[in-house]
Amino acid sequence: MFSSLLQAIVSGLMTGSLIALPAIGFTTIFAVLRYPSFAIAAYMTIGGFAAIYANQHFGMGVIPLLLLAAVVSGLVGLLAEQTALAPLRPAGALTAAIGSIALNVVLENIVRFSFGNDLQGFDLPIHPDMRFGPIRVGTQQLQNLAIAVVVMGGIFAFLRFSRFGRAMRAVADNDDLARLKGIDPKIISGVAVAVGAALAGVGGVLLGMDTSIDPLTGYRVLLSVFAAAVLGGLGSIPGAVVGALAIGVAEEVSLLAVPATYRGAIAFFAILAMLTFRPRGLLGERST
Amino acid sequence: MTSYVLFTLTIGGIYALLALSLNLVWGMAGMVNLGLAGFFAVGAYASAIATGSGAPVVLGWLIAIACGVVAGLVITFATLRLRDDYLAIVTLGFGEVVRLVALNERWLTNGADGISGIPGPLKQSLGQTGFPIFYLILVSAIVCLVWLVLRRLDLSPYGRTLKAIREDQELTRFAGKPVLRFKYEAFALAAAIAALAGALYGHFQSYVSPDHFQSLITIYIFLAVTAGGVGRPLGAVAGAYAVVIFLEATRFFADVLPGLQPVQLAAVREMLVGAALLVVLLWKPTGLLSERIAPATPRTGSP
Amino acid sequence: MNQQTIRLNRRDILQLGALASAGVLVATPAWAQGAPVRLGALLPLTGSGGPYGGPMAKVAKGVVDEVNAAGGILGRKVELFIEDDQTSAEAAVRAARKLIDVDKVAAVMGTWASAVTTAVAPLCWESKTFQTTTSGADSITLLPHQGYLIRTQPNTTLQGQKFGGFAVENDAKKVFFISPQTPFVKTQLEGITAAVKKAGGSVGSLVYDDKRPSYRSEVDEILRFEPDAIIFGGYTPDTTVMLKDLFRAGYKGKKIAFAYAVNQKLIESVQPEIVEGTFTISPSPAEGSNAYARVAKLAGMSNPDPYTVQMYDQINLVILALAAGGGDMNGTTIKANVRTISQGPDRIKVDNAVEGLKQLAAKKKIDYDGASGPCDFTDIGDIIDSKFRYEQVKAGKLALLKIG
Repeated sequence: MFSSLLQAIVSGLMTGSLIALPAIGFTTIFAVLRYPSFAIAAYMTIGGFAAIYANQHFGMGVIPLLLLAAVVSGLVGLLAEQTALAPLRPAGALTAAIGSIALNVVLENIVRFSFGNDLQGFDLPIHPDMRFGPIRVGTQQLQNLAIAVVVMGGIFAFLRFSRFGRAMRAVADNDDLARLKGIDPKIISGVAVAVGAALAGVGGVLLGMDTSIDPLTGYRVLLSVFAAAVLGGLGSIPGAVVGALAIGVAEEVSLLAVPATYRGAIAFFAILAMLTFRPRGLLGERST
Repeated sequence: MTSYVLFTLTIGGIYALLALSLNLVWGMAGMVNLGLAGFFAVGAYASAIATGSGAPVVLGWLIAIACGVVAGLVITFATLRLRDDYLAIVTLGFGEVVRLVALNERWLTNGADGISGIPGPLKQSLGQTGFPIFYLILVSAIVCLVWLVLRRLDLSPYGRTLKAIREDQELTRFAGKPVLRFKYEAFALAAAIAALAGALYGHFQSYVSPDHFQSLITIYIFLAVTAGGVGRPLGAVAGAYAVVIFLEATRFFADVLPGLQPVQLAAVREMLVGAALLVVLLWKPTGLLSERIAPATPRTGSP
Repeated sequence: MNQQTIRLNRRDILQLGALASAGVLVATPAWAQGAPVRLGALLPLTGSGGPYGGPMAKVAKGVVDEVNAAGGILGRKVELFIEDDQTSAEAAVRAARKLIDVDKVAAVMGTWASAVTTAVAPLCWESKTFQTTTSGADSITLLPHQGYLIRTQPNTTLQGQKFGGFAVENDAKKVFFISPQTPFVKTQLEGITAAVKKAGGSVGSLVYDDKRPSYRSEVDEILRFEPDAIIFGGYTPDTTVMLKDLFRAGYKGKKIAFAYAVNQKLIESVQPEIVEGTFTISPSPAEGSNAYARVAKLAGMSNPDPYTVQMYDQINLVILALAAGGGDMNGTTIKANVRTISQGPDRIKVDNAVEGLKQLAAKKKIDYDGASGPCDFTDIGDIIDSKFRYEQVKAGKLALLKIG
């Protein structure tokens, strides 16, 4: 019984690691631009397809694929943001969020138009789990987790310690004041979106390696990504990772008591519980 | 062709009710309801189950409305202490939970099979040509009724208070209004309207399933309310009919674009919906019909 | 605001008219008497059924092109209208309304999701439009469709029995069935259980949520049963994840899948060790039939999945039924003739529309045996019997083991 629980927790960390990077991307965009961007699903899918194309046509390996996905998704995110979503931001977070939903539909269908609905997979090796006693741990997922933690650390440090990062936080807190100090919010928001979308792209590749790549790859996990970011506290980078892992663990552990068919609902109950007792999320900042 | 037009207008009417519901909570009171499809489902299933157990159709609809109200109250209660942004994810979760329950609880909802044979009111006596006409008139009449009620609400002090809550909740509370009560009522009323729409849909189509209530519909209704005019009931109604007509019109684009595969044509069609929403948002973020806020009654005497 | 009126004088109008008629004459091939025959296909081109709709559309178009090249149905051109059901019953009903009321199709073919089929069925039988479906839910043929519906998918109890029987044949004593929540989980499980228990084995099952990116705990639950054979009843996206997670967990037992769960596209998209040795089962005609090869050619892939194959049969059946009936090219004609061209004694067997049309023109009686089976239907539209095609994944390709 105990080993089942332990295995569930370990599996939960593995599952959570799949959505950790997109969750960081989502929350980065929220942190600076102050709206939830549902286009994150499309950025994931696009990153995945860019990597598939490179893997199938040029035989690229894992690390180059991740970098390529980051670049392609980052650029797409930047372009989409500047053309379609930036004009909506002054109208409020809700309008921008709805715009991002519309944008997601458009981008998803551009992918579908170009590549069709067929499932695609990477020509990369797959490894069986490692075993530590009765517990099995996925090598791929450990890798994902490691990448997520490293990226989280990097972004967190960037935001806290670098000049540019501090500028990003300034813009997030008070756009006009930041402008007074000579910081150009437009550049800052551009970087924020590019970074957020790039992370989503990388997340999409890692997710695709575990599952498959098709136009709905990002859309399928969108709710989980959103939930993870909310659980961890919208705008908190470490929170996104913690939230993602927490949701993963909650889902896997719940399977010991609840039928597998209700897995999708667990995340929401976890969120409801969290937000009722601690509205700012696990690591969120207190709202002013 | 006439059946198609009658049908499309009836669906437009059902979408209009959903749009009125969304407009009430979001457009007027500023509460995001991303789980609209869930309330739609609750009403459809409630009526289907009730009439399946022998209740007359009208009673089924009343039960559907009651279930909608209860669901609305439950959601508002559960989110009492949450920031408004978080209402979005809770309603989203609600929509998902409703779908899962409908899918998995076979004893209640017949699971993935769905509920067939939902009786259409007067269907037998009116026959195949009469029933669609009757139903269109019925739905349109209900849309008019609900619209009139919400319009009065919109222009009344009640509506003004809701909009005040939307703009600044704290200030409204400070001004002495029982904000919580207003929110409860608005959400419950909106949920009731969405549930009624669901019941009407179920009896029109004679079949409902978990599959019917996907988030796709919620996106369409957001498009309707945004395009039509946020906060304005007439805008919601106009937007809904416009969306349905637009969705159907995009089918005929296939004839215009040669040389594309069926999957590509389908992708173009969906793309157009997303693009239409973006265009409307970029061009007129508050929608085509502008909001009306009734002025407060003037005070006698100087301020 | 400036108002411009374009004034056409008589000469312009005459010129335009001449151009238009010339255009029409040039565009219209030399088709014989009668308006074109209009057929509709309602397919999952987007949404969760997306992976299946594309090949179905391709095959349907392929058959129509072949028939038109050979002169159409009784000299009339066939027009195919394809609409996307978005794998949503609500959207499907709107699409079906357009096909029936605007395009005035004689048949709505290829409906895939059970909810879509059930939602569209009343529209079809009420307008006397013929409906052909690949959906599995038992309740579908029990609807009061008055003969306007046929299903080319064998019923799920039979399929379950075949699966259970096959597992037993391969020395499995503990069989585990996994599937998302579909209308036919229960009947499939019953069929499997009956076959396995009869041979003294035991059966376990799990219904899972088909939208997850990971099934680690579900896999733990499956492996706790210690199965020696797992039967996969899902669709390609979720089955891909299951296969990967089972591989990672070190499962070494047998894997038996519905041929639409592990199809050629899935096999091509995963690492070979994930899927090597997996058995797939699909409905089939008797040995010696060429129909499957025809579908493969039309679809452009060596192993089309059961839905693609059934689409081929459906459109052939509809075309041949219309040709046999003559007269009005509508749903009632199809209903009246679909069984006369597909079953019965002393008939010439055909497996494609062009050949069938030729025989019908020579006043012969035909029996269409398709690529998914003999295509013989009961009164309520179910398949009477079917053989099954057993394949196994070997070195990244599907190899035929037997037909039986």
